[in-house]
Amino acid sequence: MTDSELFKLAGIKEINKAVPKKKRLCRDFPFISAAVLAVILFSCLFAEILMTKDPAYLDLSSCNTAPNKEFIFGTDSLGRDIYSDIWYGGRISILIGFLSTLISTSIAVIYGAVSGTAPKWLDDAMMRFTEIFLSIPSILLVIFIGAALGKSNILTLSFIIGITSWPSIAKVVRTEVLQIRQSEYVLASKCMGANFFHILKNHLAPNFISSIMFMVVMNIRSAISTESTLSFMGMGLPIEIISWGSMLSLAQKALMTESWWVIIIPGAFLIALLVSITNIGNYIRKNFNQVESNI
Amino acid sequence: MNKRFLTGLLKKIAAFSASLFLLSTAVFYISRLAPGDPLISYYGDRVEKMTGEEKEAARERLGLNSPIYVQYGKWLQNAFKGDFGISFKYKQDVLEVISQRMGNTLILGGTGFFIIFTGALLLGILCAYFEDRWIDRFLQKAGTVISCVPEFFLSLMSILIFAIMLHMLPSGGAYDVGKKSDIANRIQHLILPLSIVVIGHLWYYAYMIRNKILEETRADYVLLAKAKGLSKVRVMFIHCLRNIFPSYISLMAISVPHILGGTYIVETVFSYPGIGTLSYESARYADYNMLMVLCLLTGAVVIFCSMLAQAVNERIDPRIRAQQVTESSEVIKI
Repeated sequence: MTDSELFKLAGIKEINKAVPKKKRLCRDFPFISAAVLAVILFSCLFAEILMTKDPAYLDLSSCNTAPNKEFIFGTDSLGRDIYSDIWYGGRISILIGFLSTLISTSIAVIYGAVSGTAPKWLDDAMMRFTEIFLSIPSILLVIFIGAALGKSNILTLSFIIGITSWPSIAKVVRTEVLQIRQSEYVLASKCMGANFFHILKNHLAPNFISSIMFMVVMNIRSAISTESTLSFMGMGLPIEIISWGSMLSLAQKALMTESWWVIIIPGAFLIALLVSITNIGNYIRKNFNQVESNI
Repeated sequence: MNKRFLTGLLKKIAAFSASLFLLSTAVFYISRLAPGDPLISYYGDRVEKMTGEEKEAARERLGLNSPIYVQYGKWLQNAFKGDFGISFKYKQDVLEVISQRMGNTLILGGTGFFIIFTGALLLGILCAYFEDRWIDRFLQKAGTVISCVPEFFLSLMSILIFAIMLHMLPSGGAYDVGKKSDIANRIQHLILPLSIVVIGHLWYYAYMIRNKILEETRADYVLLAKAKGLSKVRVMFIHCLRNIFPSYISLMAISVPHILGGTYIVETVFSYPGIGTLSYESARYADYNMLMVLCLLTGAVVIFCSMLAQAVNERIDPRIRAQQVTESSEVIKI
């Protein structure tokens, strides 16, 4: 046998075919979370169709009623129908989540990009500032600014949460910008006279958007969580503005009367929303991290 | 060597003071932006009974009429003497009120911190060792769900179940009336808040440690060790763990504000007399003198911890320079 025949006998070693990427993306996709998220989002968006009672109506003749046929989820100590409040209040909770994330992301992107493209001394100063900012527990900062701004409504609360949650995103943006600011295409764009925002929008943003995507999603989650914590503590939305947090602010009272539905039902919706957002966020993060183990 | 250590220390102290100075400036300016009359925080309800002239005189005496940077200078001068003003709510020196509560928070936060990091390391190793096996998957799912639950809700649920339905544990406070020095009673009161602090944070850090270990197992030296014939346990415990140690320490440092924040919330729900309840109260009653010191104190603790971690890291791993530590902490911090 000649060499070439031998070669044919063994044949080319079959390489394990890589799993098509699209298929794996589908398998990992958190369908349940997405479905839960979609249901909650749409129900809150079209709350008017689902509501059986006026969410703000104080039905004093039926306070603290356990779940029954008329009040599917019962009523709270003010006599409001919890079922209607869930959909109506969810709208505000989610709105605050999006609004404050919008605020924090805009601040973070601009701050990070400026810091990344700025001269070294300014960059250092700006980073030192974010570190100081991160050094105070955000809840304390939120309480502090909230106390300084006085009585809060949806806008001020989103503003407070927004301006306290940008530094970690800004840091990532800066790191990414530092890596690409010397690239030829940025330089070329600069030479052609592009201004800062043009470069940010067309050259920098497409590069860092994937690395901050996960953090932005998580930011929505923590904003919703912060809103509920604050409102629960009585520092966020007042009881007249219905949100899941302000519904839970009646929980301390409900503990005394042992009306569990006042606590558990808004809490369950809150947790369902937070868990599904987290799962989707994790899915986004995982798809940038696929290396085989050596062990 | 010794000289280098000394200059390093001096540099650290300078950076620490600079950070603290900036922090106090920011906090002071924000608190003066408050809509309320600062006179109220000095005189309380008596302000309403004061005549216009008296108010003006008081303002003049307290220096509230001078521009804000002059006021800040004055505050700073007093602060150096250890005088941070009087708490409006407690009618006592701010530092005195804080020192009464400090111990409680340190016990809750400190014990919590210790348990969280021991537990997180163990859980992280367990999950990394059984990567993608059922136990890892189960822990990941359960952990994600639990860490999504806001702390205040976890606390509420635990009060509902253990204090109200089962009558097993007290629902709040640090001790029963008249049992201030009864340790058993104090421990009983500590169980619920402490478990909430631990449960609320444990998975968050365990997951990061798991991922750090997994990242490490993908390094080339692991392949070499494996090829030499070392066992999986040996590679993981002797080689990988050593390498994640610096990140473990910086993780500890950046977790301080996170865990402290969680402790504050838990304290408030359980009305546990600590710094957290105090800051919540002072925000509610517009007690700005108090709130400022609390922010400063918390900030100082956190900055100190992160510097300590940096120093320790430079000691145990000479490859790490300040820059790298902050770089690695960026990835971790969400």
